[in-house]
Amino acid sequence: MEDLKKQEQYGLGKLPAMAPLSNPYVPFQLENPPQYEAAKGLVRGTLFPGLELPFMGMVNTGTPEQTTKFQMQTLAFAVQELALYLDTHPNDREALETYRKYQKLYHDGLAAYGDKYGPMSHCAPSSGKDYNWLNDPWPWEYAANKEG
Amino acid sequence: MFSYNKSLQYPVKIKNSNPKLAAIIISQYGGPDGELGASLRYLSQRYSMPFNEQKGLLTDIGTEELGHLEMIGAIVHQLTRNLTEDQIKESAFAPYFVDHTVGVYPTAASGFPFSAASMAVTGDPIADLTENLAAEQKARLTYDNILRLSDDPDVNDAIKFLREREIVHFQRFGESIQQLREKLNQKNVYYMNPAFDM
Repeated sequence: MEDLKKQEQYGLGKLPAMAPLSNPYVPFQLENPPQYEAAKGLVRGTLFPGLELPFMGMVNTGTPEQTTKFQMQTLAFAVQELALYLDTHPNDREALETYRKYQKLYHDGLAAYGDKYGPMSHCAPSSGKDYNWLNDPWPWEYAANKEG
Repeated sequence: MFSYNKSLQYPVKIKNSNPKLAAIIISQYGGPDGELGASLRYLSQRYSMPFNEQKGLLTDIGTEELGHLEMIGAIVHQLTRNLTEDQIKESAFAPYFVDHTVGVYPTAASGFPFSAASMAVTGDPIADLTENLAAEQKARLTYDNILRLSDDPDVNDAIKFLREREIVHFQRFGESIQQLREKLNQKNVYYMNPAFDM
């Protein structure tokens, strides 16, 4: 029942009951909105189906290969999306929990990422006997984004 | 401080070069509604925000825009890989090429170089946040127009992602204005400038 109600409202928001004049309004996204799982969220550009408003029905539907690199992008995206949501909904406890869950997964993944690709940042874990920050590929290069 | 993550926010993998498309997409790098202007606008507006909600949101969105700037740079870079001279001569990319070769330079597609005149930092929180609503819409429609003009699925994949982010950012800025308003004089939110008079 609760789920059904949420389904019906997933794309709707809330305005103040008596909105003062001469102000622009964007409805507030309701708390605890339905969410895609992180990988689908990254592909769609938002974790929130209620905010997904594609141009002329053009939607990314692919499912990229689940490489360590893609998984880290996925987790970083989920953290970022929930951070923006929490910036305007700081009292949504469930969103806070989900945000912390993705934060932890991201931090837990940094070491494995560093072993495979070199460090994510200068402050992230790195391994191996040589300085490997300079190693190919850099993020903007085609080779860095090909699957595998 | 800022630190660099050696990863794009969203993968950019463009198989085929296309200088004509690069000459269009460069506008989102350094054009009037591009990602450079967006990141500078938000990161600069932060200083005059009186409340933490707006300081935080501008920091977080401004930082994400820097990631988008890098994605646009990656798209232009990959679209201009391995170009032949004939490809350049025959395309609208030639005027860009003569000045910048295949370097990535912040300019509008029209040739006008990046200008801070395309953005505003007024020092008035309501005016700045309202500007940001329009800025997100202008970036969104630029991406709409890129989708109209581009038939490369690899490019469109990344552009659709970036376009959707503008919609999410618009929503958050709208919510943020309301949060700001709730902290101001409810009878007249324009009574004074909270960045200066409070």
